[in-house]
Amino acid sequence: MMSRLVILSANSLKGSGPFGAGLVHASRSLHTSSQSRAPVPPLPETGGKVRHGIFPEEIFQLLYPKTGVTGPYMLGTGLITYLLSKELYVINNETLSAICIFSVIIYGVKKFGPSVAAFADKLNEEKLAKAQEVKDLAMSGLTQAIENEKKEQWRVEGRAMLFDAKRNNVAMLLETNYRERLHMVTNEIKRRLDYQIALQHLNRRLEQEHMINWVEKSVIGSITPQQEKESIAKCIADLKMLAKNTQAKATV
Amino acid sequence: MTMNLFNQFLSPTFLGLPLIAIALMAPCLLYPSPAPWWQSNRWTTLQNWFIGSFIKQILSPINTKGHSWALLLATLMVFLITLNTLGLLPYTFTPTTQLSLNMAFAVPLWLATVIMGFRNSPTHALGHLLPEGTPTPLVPILIIIESISLLIRPLALGVRLTANLTAGHLLIQLVSSAAFSLLLSQTTAASLAVGLLLLLTILEVAVAMIQAYVFVLLLSLYLQENV
Repeated sequence: MMSRLVILSANSLKGSGPFGAGLVHASRSLHTSSQSRAPVPPLPETGGKVRHGIFPEEIFQLLYPKTGVTGPYMLGTGLITYLLSKELYVINNETLSAICIFSVIIYGVKKFGPSVAAFADKLNEEKLAKAQEVKDLAMSGLTQAIENEKKEQWRVEGRAMLFDAKRNNVAMLLETNYRERLHMVTNEIKRRLDYQIALQHLNRRLEQEHMINWVEKSVIGSITPQQEKESIAKCIADLKMLAKNTQAKATV
Repeated sequence: MTMNLFNQFLSPTFLGLPLIAIALMAPCLLYPSPAPWWQSNRWTTLQNWFIGSFIKQILSPINTKGHSWALLLATLMVFLITLNTLGLLPYTFTPTTQLSLNMAFAVPLWLATVIMGFRNSPTHALGHLLPEGTPTPLVPILIIIESISLLIRPLALGVRLTANLTAGHLLIQLVSSAAFSLLLSQTTAASLAVGLLLLLTILEVAVAMIQAYVFVLLLSLYLQENV
């Protein structure tokens, strides 16, 4: 008997997180008709139009051809007069309390009706906005992924250039390294050869000096005193002659 | 006159068939079942919002084990609030003015909480019978007092709801009959009575909703103690 309320509560609690545990499947057993999915006709946006809050517009349209605009109002007035005059409805104390409660209800509906409707619309709007946001985020994420992918593809084209540049780099490195080692080897060899040359030079110079010293020593030793006197006298004679010559050249 | 006043609380029967069954079905028939589509109309949205926020608020102090009572408490709340507010309309019968109905709600639910408490943690449940920090000489008396208070809870729950609604309806009957009988002879007095009746009606609307809420709130408190 309270199944409708239970279904109602279960369905409203179903979506509300940790508090809705175990309620979803309990209501499944109470479903009577199978779910039909297609084709689903579009639902009306607003409810049926009513006049004065309770009387459907259809009644007014129904009575319009025969009784015009005032028809339903006359019907209402006539009905009420009939009920009151025939005492089918007796005015008693309940009527007063009915007037009070209905005025309270009508006041409440008139005052808070639009704000409550706006609140309900806002709840629906928020739900819609959340779903829309998810969809928008997903779409923007996917477009971003597409752009990234295109960029990666463009990058792949430049890969060959990159490899060439790297290959050139490596070749240059190898070349440089080879030249350096060659240079080092030449230097080392030159140093060793220079050393040998310097050694030879030194040897020859030593030999020369030794030889000169020996020759000088032997020459100086071979000069007898007789020879020395003779050479000195010759030198003096030569010098006298030279002086005479120079003097003669000077006067001439 | 007194007989007349209490006539409104007689459980209505028609040809021996209890009409209270139809009265009790009224809340179930008034609410639309949730639609299978994703975004529902205003009424269903408001319903869902109301039940959702009510349950969130009432189950927040209770630990996870007690959350299995969510459906029961939500249903009870919607049922009681509908019965109470529908009873304010003229010529309607309010089933919640019957003590039998309210006791039928209060006793089993309260007993369920107590039995749950005693089964799952008997020491903890028995510990509720003695508040902390009582001086030693007072302990025996206090245990007796607390047990009496525990046993009186279902009575209190049922009678509170019954008494509030019965008193309200009775007052409305009294004031409206006073106003009615004064209407033609002393119109100013009658208008004062009508003013009083208006205020009383507003009070009764509030009381109807609050009493339903208090019933469910107290049950949730008893549940919180014992779960």
